[in-house]
Amino acid sequence: MIEEILATHELKLVTEDDVMAVRRRVREIAEMRKFDTFAIAAITTATSELARNVVVHGRGGTAKIEEISDGLRAGIRVVFTDEGPGIPDIARVMSGGYSTARSMGLGLSGSKRLVDDFDLESQVGVGTRVTVTKWKRF
Amino acid sequence: MKSFSDYRKYMTILKLDEAEIQSRRAFFTLTDEDLQRLASLRPFAEKVTEEVVEQFYSLLLAHPETRKFFEDDATIRRVKRTQREYFLGLFAGKCDREYVEDRLRVGAAHERIGLAPKWYLGAYRQYLHLILNALQAELKDEERVRAAFQSIQRIVFFDVSLAIDTYIAANAEALVRHQQAIRELSTPVIRVYDRILLLPLVGAIDSIRAEQIMESVLLHVVEAQAKCIIIDIAGVPVVDTRVADHLLKTTAAVRLLGAQTILTGITAQVARTMVQLGVDVSTMHTLSRLSDGIELALGMVGKAITTAAPPAPASPSAVTPPVVGGTS
Repeated sequence: MIEEILATHELKLVTEDDVMAVRRRVREIAEMRKFDTFAIAAITTATSELARNVVVHGRGGTAKIEEISDGLRAGIRVVFTDEGPGIPDIARVMSGGYSTARSMGLGLSGSKRLVDDFDLESQVGVGTRVTVTKWKRF
Repeated sequence: MKSFSDYRKYMTILKLDEAEIQSRRAFFTLTDEDLQRLASLRPFAEKVTEEVVEQFYSLLLAHPETRKFFEDDATIRRVKRTQREYFLGLFAGKCDREYVEDRLRVGAAHERIGLAPKWYLGAYRQYLHLILNALQAELKDEERVRAAFQSIQRIVFFDVSLAIDTYIAANAEALVRHQQAIRELSTPVIRVYDRILLLPLVGAIDSIRAEQIMESVLLHVVEAQAKCIIIDIAGVPVVDTRVADHLLKTTAAVRLLGAQTILTGITAQVARTMVQLGVDVSTMHTLSRLSDGIELALGMVGKAITTAAPPAPASPSAVTPPVVGGTS
């Protein structure tokens, strides 16, 4: 499946206000691309979780929002990158209920359930990159 | 006087202590030699002040955008006097705290009257041009003019940096004030009935606001001896685990005070998202509509909304004939 990137937006993620700016941008794009309301809520909420992870756990980083198309469907891909401490036990954080800071520990596992594709790369001491994709339904 | 404290506070905001002033001067290469040269140019400055200031204001008054800032002759007379003092100040041969303070006053005054930096910078360019002309006319010697103008440029750019920083600081300050105003508006706890409170949440909930919501809710619950508080989240754009966490903590704290929390305004999209996230809100009463929340709350204080008996019909024909007492 060949994907085409229609537009890219790179935003910084340092403060809580940045988290809101990124998710607002994602929502605007999803609305512009005429995603259904459930999909808009899902990608916006996943963005909120993952962007906050970058700020709270990753000591800041960036979010790259890509408007993509596979020829049939429009999609939104968001890549969250930080150079923070990394995640030592990925399997454990993905099982939910794992948390290093005050929260419910559902951020990563919950976000995975909200999107169509979810990819997590992390190396201790190097950083973390989470890539999520939400496709518009037919 | 208001303007006095206005510009003094920028000394603190911009952290303009002795070390900062020195570091700024170093970057603008404004040396003691420059200051001495400027001081030696004082007689020149006194001689040309009147001329430079007059020319400068005829330029400002000729431009429709800058003329707006000078409404009447009294204003023009006043600003010309200030301008003469400013001009002579460049040749005081000093660049200490007092000097910086005086320059901040200028920046703050421009910001206060709403003069945009583009006009300030544009006008300053013309000002420098007028000074150069005066130098050439008075000093004659090309080398002396060059040296003098270089020192003037250094102190002028130093001044401009302070003025621009004042503009930015003033804007940042306005932003903080607006944020505070919004935050104060953003947690309105309403008493809908005796011992029933309502908190309609509108807008994004960040951690500062979440703290405020918690405190405001708890204070109001105690004050109103509330049995129940309805939190309506219909106006909250994103309900993620952080927001859910805050709501659950607020519920737990409210419960410690012997009251209950009812969460309303949950849209279909939010319900679906919360389930996918795996958020468990079973400790809260949750309802879709605010009106249902109010009914539930009334039930908790032993009240109910009932349909009133139909009003007595107006037409006499429908009136039931009085029953005449029978045998008794």
